[in-house]
Amino acid sequence: MDRTESQDEFYRKVAAEYGASLARMAYAYEADPDLRRDLSQEIHLALWRSFEKFNGRCSLRTWIYRVAHNVATSHVVRQTRGKRSAPAFLTLEEAGVQASGENVEISADRHQALAHLFALIQRLDPLDRQVILAYLEDLDAESIAEITGLSVANVWTKIHRIKEVLVRQFHRGGRDGL
Amino acid sequence: MACDDLPDDLKILWKEAGMDGPVFSPDQLRQETEKMHAKRRRSYLVLGVVFSVVIAGFAITFPYFHNILMRIGAILGILACGYWVVVVLRERARVVPDPAETDGVGFYRAELERMRDWHSRLRAWRMSILVTPFILYDLGLAQTFAKVAPWMVLFVWFDCTIFLGLLAIWAPIKHRKTARKYQERIDTLDAALRREGR
Repeated sequence: MDRTESQDEFYRKVAAEYGASLARMAYAYEADPDLRRDLSQEIHLALWRSFEKFNGRCSLRTWIYRVAHNVATSHVVRQTRGKRSAPAFLTLEEAGVQASGENVEISADRHQALAHLFALIQRLDPLDRQVILAYLEDLDAESIAEITGLSVANVWTKIHRIKEVLVRQFHRGGRDGL
Repeated sequence: MACDDLPDDLKILWKEAGMDGPVFSPDQLRQETEKMHAKRRRSYLVLGVVFSVVIAGFAITFPYFHNILMRIGAILGILACGYWVVVVLRERARVVPDPAETDGVGFYRAELERMRDWHSRLRAWRMSILVTPFILYDLGLAQTFAKVAPWMVLFVWFDCTIFLGLLAIWAPIKHRKTARKYQERIDTLDAALRREGR
């Protein structure tokens, strides 16, 4: 952060640029609308506070996603506390196996496809969620490794599995492209 | 069936979502921070008041009742409250990892450990430290009032059953199960990381 730039100004710029991406992330971590708003607020609050010490050692994008993912992970861990009915998290492999029966056409109903994608992500283990979300947000493997703490090779392996799962769960339908 | 580049279609679809996310101004966030601090201060106050009332209750009644069980219960009760204040304060003082400086794996593991440790702290012996003084005090109370107020004995038995049942037996079992659940998640995470060579 530019030393002369105030924390507030910096936050405003980041919120404008990354707001939609952070909203998607909150959606992917929390299905309940009220809790989702709380989570969004927690993420924005943590980001705003973190900018006080942003030192540029990593890219701003990596910093933002790391803070947001960690806050969301903490939220997920807290939300599942003591809930007997809380479903167990799935690994990417398990999600792939469970997906075989349901295959959604993207072009036919985009809302349904999106809902299906969010539902899939919400069931994943937090670590796999971090990877799949960063992948969908177009982060490269090096940045994902920096955010998650996994090695670049592991990230590539996970991305490969993510693609397999997504291909099994979705199909393009009659027309090409979107 | 899907073609190889399907994830790119999904990425386009993905980016269509989230355009109407909530917006927060720095002032709102500042107010939220203040609210959080106020909530924390309030919770300390409530905790302090609850323990003070219990300690004061034991201390005030001490000179008036000569029953030995009540006296032992009162002394142990004050010590137990002091012990639990320390347990709670230590838990709250625990340093949590900085979300900006910790990677996803480290942060997730630390969160699971924090939850596991909290639940495993509520073990039977720790709960007994809190419950036993109350039971002794109640039994002494029942002895003292057995002749003048027989209903008091019933009340004490009910009280003891609730304390024993909920705090000394049910709560530790429940928390132990929950702690085990978090440990299982940590083990799963560690196994996955080992498999992937980390």
